[in-house]
Amino acid sequence: MTESEGNKNEDCHAANGVKPGRNGMVKNHHHHHQYQKQEKVYHAACNGELYSRPFIESFEETPMLVAVLTYMGYGILTIFGYLRDFMREWKIEKCHIAREREEQKDFVPLYQDFENFYTRNLYMRIRDSWNRPICSVPGATFDLAERSSNDYNWTFEYTGRVVKDVINLGSYNYLGFAENTGACATAAGEVTVKLGVGVASTRQEMGNLDRHEELEKLAASFLGVESAMAFGMGFATNSMNIPAIAGKGCLILSDELNHASLVLGARLSGSTIRVFKHNNMQSLEKLLRDAIVHGQPRTHRPWKKILILVEGIYSMEGSIIRLPEVIALKKKYKAYLYLDEAHSIGALGPNGRGVVEYFGLDPKDVDVMMGTFTKSFGAAGGYIGGRKDLIDYLRNHSHSAVYATSMSLPVVEQIITSMKCIMGKDGTTIGRSRIQRLAENTVYFRRRLREMGFIIYGNNDSPVVPMMLYMPAKIGAFGREMLKRNIGVVVVGFPATPIIESRARFCISAAHTKEMLDRALDVISEVGDLLQLKYSRHKVLPSLDRPFDETTYEENE
Amino acid sequence: MALGDAWKQLSWFYYQYLLVTALYMLEPWERTIFNSLLVTVAAMAIYTGYVFMPQHIMAILHYFEVVQ
Repeated sequence: MTESEGNKNEDCHAANGVKPGRNGMVKNHHHHHQYQKQEKVYHAACNGELYSRPFIESFEETPMLVAVLTYMGYGILTIFGYLRDFMREWKIEKCHIAREREEQKDFVPLYQDFENFYTRNLYMRIRDSWNRPICSVPGATFDLAERSSNDYNWTFEYTGRVVKDVINLGSYNYLGFAENTGACATAAGEVTVKLGVGVASTRQEMGNLDRHEELEKLAASFLGVESAMAFGMGFATNSMNIPAIAGKGCLILSDELNHASLVLGARLSGSTIRVFKHNNMQSLEKLLRDAIVHGQPRTHRPWKKILILVEGIYSMEGSIIRLPEVIALKKKYKAYLYLDEAHSIGALGPNGRGVVEYFGLDPKDVDVMMGTFTKSFGAAGGYIGGRKDLIDYLRNHSHSAVYATSMSLPVVEQIITSMKCIMGKDGTTIGRSRIQRLAENTVYFRRRLREMGFIIYGNNDSPVVPMMLYMPAKIGAFGREMLKRNIGVVVVGFPATPIIESRARFCISAAHTKEMLDRALDVISEVGDLLQLKYSRHKVLPSLDRPFDETTYEENE
Repeated sequence: MALGDAWKQLSWFYYQYLLVTALYMLEPWERTIFNSLLVTVAAMAIYTGYVFMPQHIMAILHYFEVVQ
């Protein structure tokens, strides 16, 4: 379980693209060893039983100069933030942000003045990179309504122009089902005409239609579990069901970088929460052992249950959970596993069945398989799959089942049609070809970005690609420069990421053609040179697009 | 046009300076304040160096016993 990465270097050439044919084995080994210091490679020959394919994940370290300059940039912004706050306080400048009235001065403050410091003074200045209004379906490209601001982003006006065909690198549209033509849209339209738009009731009262039952049976067969249940909102699936399965006297072990819905659900449940380091199996094992040896905090009674909360793909890092090791640990220490496959369902695995299929594991090993229909299926809502008695228990005890309105029918129809398309049950090979195209696009995009010299986080197979920007001014500059060149990207800064590790997050889709990706890559390279974003200090050897033969040796000399 | 190229290069350097010091995000009057402060401090440093350099050099040479 606790694999060591250092002693596997000698045999593992093919795993990260270094060609064994190069002459000068010593130099090769040295390059290789340097490259290995910041990367963990698990090759099949080295860790045979657990991983059937190489697991290549890397998080390159922040260069020291860049970190210092980033802190300096934030320091300058903070000083000017204090200056502006002073001017607002003394009425030299008009204050646009929400404040309390003079009469309420002696009450408990309603707006936390200092916590909004970041929003007032840093976020507002570059706010035009977020919440951009679009006016077409956000597929592989979209149309944007242009805005301008006269008072530095406090208010916006529409210029009236529509920017057409902006390449969309921000939607979680992994399999390209966000479209307004095709089988899914037609089916959703028909069912709207026949059965209406709203259900206006909870599942337990009048809201349980036969389409919902069919959706749940289909979802269960898709995932390979006994039974599944669908909910109207993905966030609510997590936050309302974890309290139903864990309570006081239980222990929840949650990953450091879990999504807010998982954290909220864990807190609402009232269990003890312990956090282990991101994707770190030694940390998880240590927590498990401590929990079993010492029991509950003061009484030392054994825990009622231990629940491990992890996600399939972490969307801010692009990393994939080490599922074989987590399952081995869970079996050894008799804990339960809750897997949130929001980003990985439909996007990983040869048939799109998610991270469990990607690693070739048995779905029955995961106790609670949760996921959302928002990302790969182009709809909204979430599901939980597992054993029949678990799902029957949840139908009665989950807050969402009792109080929340059930899913509306066009959404249900969209999910059913897209799921049948992915499974191949509609008689076409569209689903299969989309999954393959997504995998090819992902590998190609990541490889090209690495070769250009950007720092890219995460696993080589994850369709979420975070590219590091670090400095605060570059966050706004990158968003704006990319939009000028007709590419729409999502940039992420402080509250969602650590303060110096701001990034641009690209989401690859099966709807992107190779021409679109090439155009996007050229533009990213151009903007990267303009803003000096190519921080990576690894010399990545560009790998060939064709397989080995006798003439490949000369290429790399 | 060597002057045109030099001007382009200089404006690219100024753009990089704006990005690294986060002045890119600030309004023009804030940039003016920061640049003036920076130029003032740099000018004071250069002036002090200019005034005291002869004394410092003599003291160094005296320490290394090159001159009495």
